[in-house]
Amino acid sequence: MSKNKVVGKSAVRVDGLDKVTGAARYVDDLDFGPGLLHAVVVTSPHAHARIVKIDTAAAEKMPGVVRVVTGKQCPYKFGLYMQDRFIFPQDRVRFVGEQVAAVIAESPEAALRAAKCVEVDYAPLPAVLSLDDALKKNAVVIHPDLGNYERVPWFFPRAGTNIAHWRKTRKGNVDQAFDEADYILEDTYTVPRYAHCPLETHAVTGLFDLAGRLTLWASSQSPYAQRGVMAVALKPFGLSHQDIRIITPYVGGGFGGKAGVSMEIIGAVLAIAMKGRPVKLHWTREQEFMNTSQRQGVVARIKMGVKKNGKIVALDHTLHWDAGASAEYGANVVNAVGLSATGPYSIPNVKIDSVCVYTNMPPCGAYRGFGYSEFHFGLESHITRIAQALGIDPVKMRTLNAIREGDTLAYGAKMNPGDLCKAIDRVAKEIGWGKKEKAAKAHKAIGKSLACFWKAPAMPPNASSAAYLKFNEDGSMNLAVSGMEIGQGFLTVMAQVASEVLSVPVNKIRVETPDTDRNAYEWQTVGSHVTWSCGNAVRSAAEEVKTKLIATVARAKKMKVADLYLAAECVKSRKDAAFALPFRDFVIDGIMRPDGRYVGGPIHGTGMFMPEFTSALGDPETSQGGHPNVHYTVGAAGLVLEVDKETGKLTVLKVALAVDVGQVINPDLVKGQVVGGILQGLATAMYEDIRFAADGRLLNPNFTDYKIPTTLDCPLEIVPIMLETPQPDGPFGARGVGEHTMIAAAPNIADAIADAVDVRLKTMPLTAEKVALAMRGIEYEDVKGDNLGFCFRGRPCDYCFDVGGAS
Amino acid sequence: MKDISICLNGEVRQIAVAPNETLLDVLRNRLGIKTPKEGCGRGDCGACTILLDGKAVRSCLILAIEVHGQSITTLEGVGANGLTALQKAFVKNNVFQCGFCASGVILAASALLAENPQPTESEVREALAGNLCRCTGYEPIVETVLAVAKQAARQPAASRRTRS
Amino acid sequence: MSIACEFDYAKAVSLKDALRLLARRVSGGAVPLAGGTDLVAWLRDGTAAPGRLVDIKGIKALCGIRLKAGQLWMGANTPFADIVESPLVRKHAPILVEAAGMAASVGVRNRATIAGNICSAVPCCDSGPALLVYGARIHVATSRGTKTIPAKRWFIGPRQTALPKGGIVTGISIPIAKHAGAFAKLKRYRGEDLAQASVAVRVDPSGNWQVAYGSVAPTPIRGPQVERVLKGVKKPDAALVKKAAALAETEVAPITDIRSSAVYRRMMVGVMLSRAIPLAVRRVSGRGPAYGINVLEEEAS
Repeated sequence: MSKNKVVGKSAVRVDGLDKVTGAARYVDDLDFGPGLLHAVVVTSPHAHARIVKIDTAAAEKMPGVVRVVTGKQCPYKFGLYMQDRFIFPQDRVRFVGEQVAAVIAESPEAALRAAKCVEVDYAPLPAVLSLDDALKKNAVVIHPDLGNYERVPWFFPRAGTNIAHWRKTRKGNVDQAFDEADYILEDTYTVPRYAHCPLETHAVTGLFDLAGRLTLWASSQSPYAQRGVMAVALKPFGLSHQDIRIITPYVGGGFGGKAGVSMEIIGAVLAIAMKGRPVKLHWTREQEFMNTSQRQGVVARIKMGVKKNGKIVALDHTLHWDAGASAEYGANVVNAVGLSATGPYSIPNVKIDSVCVYTNMPPCGAYRGFGYSEFHFGLESHITRIAQALGIDPVKMRTLNAIREGDTLAYGAKMNPGDLCKAIDRVAKEIGWGKKEKAAKAHKAIGKSLACFWKAPAMPPNASSAAYLKFNEDGSMNLAVSGMEIGQGFLTVMAQVASEVLSVPVNKIRVETPDTDRNAYEWQTVGSHVTWSCGNAVRSAAEEVKTKLIATVARAKKMKVADLYLAAECVKSRKDAAFALPFRDFVIDGIMRPDGRYVGGPIHGTGMFMPEFTSALGDPETSQGGHPNVHYTVGAAGLVLEVDKETGKLTVLKVALAVDVGQVINPDLVKGQVVGGILQGLATAMYEDIRFAADGRLLNPNFTDYKIPTTLDCPLEIVPIMLETPQPDGPFGARGVGEHTMIAAAPNIADAIADAVDVRLKTMPLTAEKVALAMRGIEYEDVKGDNLGFCFRGRPCDYCFDVGGAS
Repeated sequence: MKDISICLNGEVRQIAVAPNETLLDVLRNRLGIKTPKEGCGRGDCGACTILLDGKAVRSCLILAIEVHGQSITTLEGVGANGLTALQKAFVKNNVFQCGFCASGVILAASALLAENPQPTESEVREALAGNLCRCTGYEPIVETVLAVAKQAARQPAASRRTRS
Repeated sequence: MSIACEFDYAKAVSLKDALRLLARRVSGGAVPLAGGTDLVAWLRDGTAAPGRLVDIKGIKALCGIRLKAGQLWMGANTPFADIVESPLVRKHAPILVEAAGMAASVGVRNRATIAGNICSAVPCCDSGPALLVYGARIHVATSRGTKTIPAKRWFIGPRQTALPKGGIVTGISIPIAKHAGAFAKLKRYRGEDLAQASVAVRVDPSGNWQVAYGSVAPTPIRGPQVERVLKGVKKPDAALVKKAAALAETEVAPITDIRSSAVYRRMMVGVMLSRAIPLAVRRVSGRGPAYGINVLEEEAS
């Protein structure tokens, strides 16, 4: 059994009291006094148009208006991985809802009224609203200057086209393997865009003070990344890192949508325009949908070759992603999938093309799962179909091909520890796999499914974490890290890690949300990596503190370091059971020697972590040679689904999900990620359904028509199963779990529908309407009308891409 | 502008409001009551839930001028005399994640338990169906409300009123 | 985001006062304000910009639920929550209870009024089909006097009603008679949603049927063909239910929008009817589940 005392136990969240009392403050809750100004942006009604003229004169004369800012005052671009996003567009707008100007006024009402009076003349350009249009010969090029954009070295844009990035992975000999395969299945799966829908919309308040210091209070997952992006983009204003301070109070949900930079940089620029006065920009729910980031849509073509026994011998996986008007973050989603679209299977011959395509749709970026949910839908559906075609049990086929520690990944590196087979077994048992269940009512049918998943953090090779840990006089501690508490319980987990090392109880360790001036560095809170990465930094800071505690006592008491250890907030001795020096007696004021002199001083520690074994520099044509991913977390999920054969309504009777987290640090919090992630995944699978009009307008930027789940939409039973195959380089063996729990939901639903009523749906979402129509032989695509629903018209399987095909 | 008088978390407050000010904005921006949140601005999400004369309502869809003479309870008022059993259980069970929905959920659940101290699971789900939460998957919320109701039933009425 | 338009606000103390305030000329016009759950949302998003709001919530005569001259009378200020909880409505208009329980969510139902629901008159209005099968009457007051408008003549088009200019709905009445019925609502999921389609069914002990639909035409509509085919049949057999369901699919005129395709709406009207009819039959004989269930999710065909 584990010898851990704190790690592995459900410590009460350190932010629990803040949240149930309302003490927790979010950006919009912060007061800035009567000097606060309010900004409202003027948005483009066109998907693609030349900006002929912006007339701000009338708006500037409106009562309460202080200033109107346009791209003229701010001709700069920004981006996390590639600088292709405009703070304010210059010559043209690239999506409906793009900000063309901002009105700053004394009240939100005055700003709103004046925003309506900013006159913008547009000359509409042909809009690229489908992958087909974006990729055809002589396509309208959305970023004519693409070849000159600053970018990271592992992106490969194609200047003169709409391809922002193309990740190719090649392993073995795919053509030969297909020749030798006993069975080949080829098909296309499509996944539309989705919206994050954190309950708190984006908000930022900026103050450019009279001394030229820019402070932003932002609802963000990435304070340091924001500072970094802004230091580059706002350099023309004379700002560098030391002039920019990002403070992030509690954040009301992120799900990837508050990673990187979106509207915050507009707030920064407006603050700079109003030196000395704070300016607030608070997105409406509509803007949250339209102008932050969405999850990219994808059309995935899968060709898989297998042997009669079910062994997968070849995979050709081509994915075309609808990135929208900018790909500064989304292209890295495409990149991540390009490396990992084998899924958690050991496949000897692999060809992956993951292509990031610009369109005149809203920009996209990180979303919980970072592309993995999207490709697992097709891949897992495909495997089940092949197993059925071969007469093999789909679960057995998965076990046969499951990736194991030490297997060679598609890009050549070796797989980390993780017990996928055990996850499959546990889930299969939990859902009674193999036992056909009969529905209680004649018009209903029950289906079962099991799908596997994996995911690695997608991060630059030098993404790193740091931690500061200090004692207070009473023996309590402050831990200053810059991972973001976005609900997952990060602050609590970090306190548990420090507590385990130091024996200081979790409730005596204060961990606050970040401030880039005061807290240690953190790259970003994304990719399910902060428990692992920042946890390592905290552990190393705690070890440093431990060393100092023991050294101080050893020195003052003339004891041997090797004899001393920490327990119950004391330094104790293995040689002298009676000896116990409480931390609070010396951690600030030191230890008095017999002669009245003191030994010691305020004890603190720092820690840092960077995965020094990673590299993004693989061969561009094959991805071989680098080591882009730190590790994968693997798992499996199964569900029991009831289908109403008349209405198509789906009821999830049971979900079981097993995930190998390496080491559970806090069971309640892991369970929270499992239960919450499953519901979010099921929602995207069954009813979240984004709709665009034929002119690129978003038709449902609200919860009235973009349905996120309620208390009435939960599975009847959820069984979380946590496996613990330690991650050698993780804190206490832990690896990430935040995103993984939603990945299997879509193929789970698709397969269970097929099992129940023999209808195979290949286009998400798998709504009741689609199921009911399909059961009557009607294709939804034929009756859905003019609303795109996704970035294509017609049937996705009809597509043949001129540019995106094999090469 | 018109003067209105309300009983806010047990205290009578007077304030002059314009007809187009929503109750949510007046609470947040002029009375320093920050726990009702704006999540959607159109009554879909429930983050702005407050109790108006004891009933859970959407403060984003009410004009401040409408509530003259009425009594308002927000989360600030719920825990004013010490945490309620519900709040304590929500902390102990690690229920909330990002916490943005917490105020609305706690008020809606409190209103339910005040009217119906022994709700069934489906009554709890129905009472909270208008409070969207993107993090938790709702299970810990529903389980905790039910557990608190059950616990209250086991205790004599007198001790139920005492808060610690 | 806040409300950008400006207007004045007056709280009426009596019906007469309200009519006077509504009649007084003001730029942008004057509109009554009850629950405000639609109106304030429209003020916020800019789709409504009246010059004056006349708050009618303080008018005692417009409040309450009671029996009046053999009718169930519900004042215009009655919120959906009161309809769901009222023993009187449960006894005399249980189909309306079932419909009200499916409208929005508790926090909205505590404020939103049934009169406001029919004045907004969107095609998916939840109370519309129930009021139609009950042959409800809408009581209206104008400066020239009062009148009653039958529910079937109330809905004129999307967001258009027979309410005279400057008039106020004072209440809604439903004739009292022994009956049973059901209300089924098709939603994209179990949570709060606007109806993709809805069906209300009412039957009396002699087998007279009333049927109405929501979200499948510009207004809530009655289903005369289905009513005719069911007429006089106290317990329609499976074949007749099937026939009625098929007829229902032909007597609605749905459109395709982001909430549903027309073809699915049409199909589901048939399914809902085929579940609601047997349910109504069970209920009229005193069996069957209590009102207030999600018929489509919980009832077998």
